[in-house]
Amino acid sequence: MATLSKLAGQDGEQMTEMKPDPPVASKFPSREWFGSGAALFAGFGTLLILMATVSIDSLHTLEAFETHDTQIRKEFVYREHTLEQVRTGVYESGDIISDYAVIESDPPSQARLRNEFQSMLKETTASLKACIQSLPADKREPFQHLADELERYWLKGDRLLALLATEKKGSGHFALRSDVLSQYAEVLAITRDVRTVNDNELKETDRRIAETFAQFRRRLLAFGMIGFGFGLILATTTIVYAGRLEKSLQEKYRESLQAQRELKELSKRLVDAEERERRAISRELHDEVGQSLSALLIDVGNLTEMCSQDAAFRQGLQRIKTLAENCVNEVRNMALLLRPSMLDDLGLVAALDWQARETSKRTGMLVETVDENVSESLPEEYKTCVYRIVQEALNNCSKHAYAKNVRVVVRQDPNYFRVSIEDDGKGFDASRVRGLGLVGMNERVSQLGGVLKVESDPARGTRLRVDLPLPFASANLEN
Amino acid sequence: MRKLRILLADDHIVMRTGLRALLERQPNLEVVGECENGRETVALAASLEPDVVVMDVGMPVLSGIEATQTIVTQNPNVAVVILSMHADESYVMRALKAGARGYLLKDSAAADLIGAIQAISQGKSFFSPKVSRILAEDYVRVLKQKGAVDTYDLLTSREREILQLLAEGKTNKEVATALTISPYTVETHRSHILQKLNLHNSAELVLYAVRKGIIS
Repeated sequence: MATLSKLAGQDGEQMTEMKPDPPVASKFPSREWFGSGAALFAGFGTLLILMATVSIDSLHTLEAFETHDTQIRKEFVYREHTLEQVRTGVYESGDIISDYAVIESDPPSQARLRNEFQSMLKETTASLKACIQSLPADKREPFQHLADELERYWLKGDRLLALLATEKKGSGHFALRSDVLSQYAEVLAITRDVRTVNDNELKETDRRIAETFAQFRRRLLAFGMIGFGFGLILATTTIVYAGRLEKSLQEKYRESLQAQRELKELSKRLVDAEERERRAISRELHDEVGQSLSALLIDVGNLTEMCSQDAAFRQGLQRIKTLAENCVNEVRNMALLLRPSMLDDLGLVAALDWQARETSKRTGMLVETVDENVSESLPEEYKTCVYRIVQEALNNCSKHAYAKNVRVVVRQDPNYFRVSIEDDGKGFDASRVRGLGLVGMNERVSQLGGVLKVESDPARGTRLRVDLPLPFASANLEN
Repeated sequence: MRKLRILLADDHIVMRTGLRALLERQPNLEVVGECENGRETVALAASLEPDVVVMDVGMPVLSGIEATQTIVTQNPNVAVVILSMHADESYVMRALKAGARGYLLKDSAAADLIGAIQAISQGKSFFSPKVSRILAEDYVRVLKQKGAVDTYDLLTSREREILQLLAEGKTNKEVATALTISPYTVETHRSHILQKLNLHNSAELVLYAVRKGIIS
């Protein structure tokens, strides 16, 4: 008996204790995914840095080439110009020497020509020297040679001019004159040579530039190939990674759907099992314990009749009788609390009427029940569902709403079983409050594919409506 | 004097044994048979034609209520007293609708069964005092909660007289004889009573009478 009363006492808490297990840990450890993400991040970063480096490098290289090329061409032109100057100077000096010989009788003109010759000497020597100064040491040699020969030519030329001015038509000046002429030819020849050297150098530079360009192109191509390959690997990895991620997400989604279905099924089974157990225990209490105690009472009555003479004996029997009567009451109440026998013996309406009377008696609320067209052969799960919902609703009406009047209406339509429970209590904000009681009701209703609606207004009380779709067969049982 | 012939129906053998012992101590009672399910009871009631059937509500195969309905329909002279664990009016109402004349709680059967058998065999109704008390309390409580007027006050004294006689189990004819009026007049009164009290049939009328404490 002790265990049974304990069981009945736990009645209310039973549902709350049946919490689902926490969801199973994911098959994919998040750490692995974090690692892949970091790898992808690093990969894309490297690719970007590579591309940026190549671009900057190319720009720098091109710029350097451009500067270098311009510089070289400028130098070439400068050298060419100097050589041209030297040649021009030498040619003109030749003319001066010729003229000098012709106008031998005019000393002022001779002096003018000699001055001209000397200034030309200074000018070309200075230009060539400046040019040599600007050259790197390894390239000075031909120019230096030119400068030396040129100087020798100038000296010889100048001496010839001096000689021509003093010793007119002397014997010595013919030898000197031929020497100067050969030196003249020598300088021009060297100038041509140097010019060729200069040209060659330019060509060499051009060749080197072309070669460097080719090198640069190869480097660029290599970088491009590496970048492309790297990008290809990265793209493949990303696609594979995204594919796996998507697959795992789909898998997870499927798992969660499955879990949800299982949870729902489990909850239905729990509710069913709870109801089945309650009914079994209630029946057991009522039919076995209750009946046995009733039989005991009959026997006690019989005994009392038989031994009417002994007062002490009769008192003992009276105590047994009282005790057994209390037990019968206890057992009956317990059985009704678990599951009212009316629900199975007399049907839903009788059970609801009883529930209404009991609630009225216990709480002082006036509970009115109205039934329309309710079939006696309503399927078992509908009876239980409606009964439990009304029970919970009445409980809420008295416990939370402090209602004075409650109206319970059950109506069977061709396709729907409709329940409505209205109270004049204090109501609540139905959009926010969702107690455990309502959750449980909703669970029961949704298991039968029904809809539960709560309309509540603090000013007007609460109205709870349940519409349960009826299976075709039971809808026809009415007739 | 002829002994009253009684048929015992209960699926618990201990219960039947106890009841038999109780009944057989009475000189004017005789237990003619025992049965342990509804169908057997219907069959035995038909063959033995007992005066009274003591019927348990919860029996296998066919419930006590359904068995009662069949037995009373087949032979209105058989009086059925229901033995039940429940004092609730839904059970009482169902028993009355099925045609039972008495309704006893099992825990008070030892004290009330003899009296109940005597009463119903004379065509009267009988209810355990506890049942009458609970029904009456419910009635008073609902009236009070609703703040409604007791419809009993609407009845004339003649109607109250007729209500009591009908509730005790008398037929229209018997009432007519007792009051020396015509059965048609009784019928007219009866329909007035039902209308005024918002009742629909004899079972409800009896239940009402029990609630009001007119009969017990």
